[in-house]
Amino acid sequence: MIRKFFKWAFSPMGRIAVAIAILSLFSLAAYGLYQTQQAPEQPIQFTHKLHVGLGIQCLYCHPGALRGPSPGLPTISKCWGCHQQIAKTQTSALLKPMVEAMDKGVGFTWVPVAQVPDFVHFTHRPHVAAGLNCENCHGDMTQVTIAVNPQVMNMGWCLSCHKERAAGDKEKLTKLTDCGTCHY
Amino acid sequence: MSEKITRRNFLKLTTAGAATAAIMTGCGPASRYVTREPYVKMPEYTYNGLSTYYATTCRECAAGCGIIVRTMQGRAIKVEGNPQNPINLGKTCARGQATLHGLYNPDRVENPVRQGRSAPQLSTAQVSWDEAIQTVSDALSKTNASEVAFLMGTAPDHLFDLVSDLADAIGAPAPLRFSALSMFEAQATLSKAAEDLLGQAGLPFFDISNADVVVSFGANFLETWLSPVAYTRGYAKMRRSRPRTRGYMVHFETQMSQTAAKADEWIPLLPGTEGLVALALGKLVAQLKGISAPRAFASVNVQQVVETSGVSMEQLTRVAELIAESHAPLAIPGGQALGQSNGLAAAEAILALNALADNFGQPGGVLLSPLAPNSGAHRRPANAQEMSDLVAKMKSGKIKVLFIHGVNPLFELPQSFGFAEALHATPTVISFATFPDETALASDYIFPDHHGLESWGYQRSQTGVMQSVLSGSQPVVAPNYNTRATADVFIEAARLAGGKFAQALPFADEVEFIQSKIENLIARTDGSFIAPEINAFSAYFQQHGGWWASSAESDSLSAANALGKSLNVSSVAASIGENEFFFLPFVSPTLGEAGANKPWLQELPDPTTTVMWNTWVAMNPETARELGIENDDVVRIVSEAGSVEAPVYKYPAIHPNAVAMPFGQGHTAYGRFAAGRGANPTDVLAPSFNEAGDLAFAGMKVRIEKTGKQQPLSRLESRIGVYGEGMYEEK
Repeated sequence: MIRKFFKWAFSPMGRIAVAIAILSLFSLAAYGLYQTQQAPEQPIQFTHKLHVGLGIQCLYCHPGALRGPSPGLPTISKCWGCHQQIAKTQTSALLKPMVEAMDKGVGFTWVPVAQVPDFVHFTHRPHVAAGLNCENCHGDMTQVTIAVNPQVMNMGWCLSCHKERAAGDKEKLTKLTDCGTCHY
Repeated sequence: MSEKITRRNFLKLTTAGAATAAIMTGCGPASRYVTREPYVKMPEYTYNGLSTYYATTCRECAAGCGIIVRTMQGRAIKVEGNPQNPINLGKTCARGQATLHGLYNPDRVENPVRQGRSAPQLSTAQVSWDEAIQTVSDALSKTNASEVAFLMGTAPDHLFDLVSDLADAIGAPAPLRFSALSMFEAQATLSKAAEDLLGQAGLPFFDISNADVVVSFGANFLETWLSPVAYTRGYAKMRRSRPRTRGYMVHFETQMSQTAAKADEWIPLLPGTEGLVALALGKLVAQLKGISAPRAFASVNVQQVVETSGVSMEQLTRVAELIAESHAPLAIPGGQALGQSNGLAAAEAILALNALADNFGQPGGVLLSPLAPNSGAHRRPANAQEMSDLVAKMKSGKIKVLFIHGVNPLFELPQSFGFAEALHATPTVISFATFPDETALASDYIFPDHHGLESWGYQRSQTGVMQSVLSGSQPVVAPNYNTRATADVFIEAARLAGGKFAQALPFADEVEFIQSKIENLIARTDGSFIAPEINAFSAYFQQHGGWWASSAESDSLSAANALGKSLNVSSVAASIGENEFFFLPFVSPTLGEAGANKPWLQELPDPTTTVMWNTWVAMNPETARELGIENDDVVRIVSEAGSVEAPVYKYPAIHPNAVAMPFGQGHTAYGRFAAGRGANPTDVLAPSFNEAGDLAFAGMKVRIEKTGKQQPLSRLESRIGVYGEGMYEEK
């Protein structure tokens, strides 16, 4: 059967068909890859640009970054703390989902964009403690509406920074590039 | 297609297909797509992925151990001891650990309800808290104050103080506190004996940790007695903390309890002869020391004691030698020795042994437990006599309104007291139970209190520590259900009633009340912390889990009074009834009085028999052979007062003339884990009291009837009775 297939594949029509099949497979793969790099749908068109622009510190809404592994997402009541004093909250179509959530006492379902796989134990605290700023990894949020990833967060990216920060110190390099530092 | 696919080609195609699918989906967004839903309102002090720890106080018994509860995102997940609290110094018992099973119990009373005495079902007639408070307010203000009764549990203390203040201000009778533990520990007898011999009522502190020979008369301090965590620590220190000295322990008890099993020597004796044995020991010790026997011990005939008690002369002499040669001997009177018709005399005889050793007020001896920081005097729980009086008052219609909190008298009081009829004769019964226990279900209303881990409060140390300790409680989680603090309900109800009621409780809420009670500690500089004003003080009080004096208090006590007293333990305790066997109820070391609704505790094997999830009758194999009874045969135990059925566990370490039964099971309500499981030994106890008013429970005599039924007991090594494993196998 396979022999029959190859025989057909080398015929002119066969070549065209195979080319089409390969091209479509390739484009499917490309589309899949493209999808991973797109910011997903979020429940509300939250503009980081505006909030950071107003001078709100990152840690005000994501305080866990200073203390533990996860920075946390702000609670609706935290949003409401400021928004209840803003007249536009009640009229804006964009803010309608938040007003409704507050009224009903239900939460939003956010889709996090900056993620690492489960086998990586990433924790924010040591990174903040080492003097990194949020924008070092998450990009300049004053330019972003809905959160997007400025880069692919893969192991190469982590290691390049870890190596750079070791700055030739052998002990530090060992600590920062040991498998068990992140995979434990 | 005519051509067949070969096996090899099939595999190639399958692999290629799977690889393509994996690559395509692996790259796609589905693999990385997760969602996160933040809180609508974040619990205070919460960080994602990090625990928050709160110091509070265990409420599973009245000992007041400090605990630290680990919470994660607003949920309590683990209980550990508070290392700072002097009572337990970072340790807990199993019941403390299992307090979470109370918090998350699926059978809690979730809303205030008009119960309407519709036992055995929890009513669904929900009322609002406004109505509930109105009901309490009406019950308080529209009833003659002398016809209002408050019945409280032994924990928490702050609520007892609040109710005491209220009762005092409106002229109602002082609230009673009761628990089965205090009944089985015969606390009133111990307190009275301390008053007679040491000059001050209260629970004495037995300094086990510094003693080198401990002679315990049924004091099961490694299980549930008074302050088990503190005494267990003391025991451990006696055993191994000092170089070259390993404390020696002798335990007199009719059956081998867990404490007896941990002793160097367990000496069984007939119930009711403990006092006599103590006197005989005193006389022998005096002889060995070459002094003339003090008046207390002079009258006893040692030979007669040997005959009545079943303890041999050699055993008595050896223990007397141990005491005489010891530098710091210590004799401890326990519940079973005191819960007898001659209990008070027995308690005094045992305490007098300490006087003979001249260890009053000495390290390793008997000391006065210091009073807790904010209390004027020791207030012991009600003895059985007082409970019986309350029942009589209720039956005669002199009580119109009964408030019940923290105690379940329908289960904890012997049936023969007639509490059920007394409830029936009381027009209004309002329960504040957290769980749907027997008494709550027989009430008119249930206005549920928070669980202990959701509550404010404080608990005073009564014994077990030589420092003055006030353990503080704070909520570690927000209340899970529509419950309300009983203190708040009373404060609101009093405000609503106005007049003297409102004046009695002029507080905004429970927290303000608690602050008013700890305010006087701000001035003290000898405590665990110092704060300039009440808000800072309260914050420290919560952070540390209470306030305690930083150093031990000691009083000088004289033994002369005790030895000069003529102690008259004239005979064996009077037994109740004419039957053949002594009946010995004991508090289950794993369940305590209120642990039956916690599966962790049910699953915990009894330390001596390994029985779980059930009640058993411990019977000597010799006795069982004579009666023709095998393991797991259900027997009926009959006394003058009633009867109870339970399967037999052949237990070699019990006097052949006695049978024992654990207390803790036999609920008809109290949630799915407790109801309909086991039997309640108090059903066969008669209302018979000793001189101090405690129940003479250990003098009960019973007869044993075979029922012909069998019920396999679940044990650690065979779980047949719980899960039915192996029960339905074909033979």
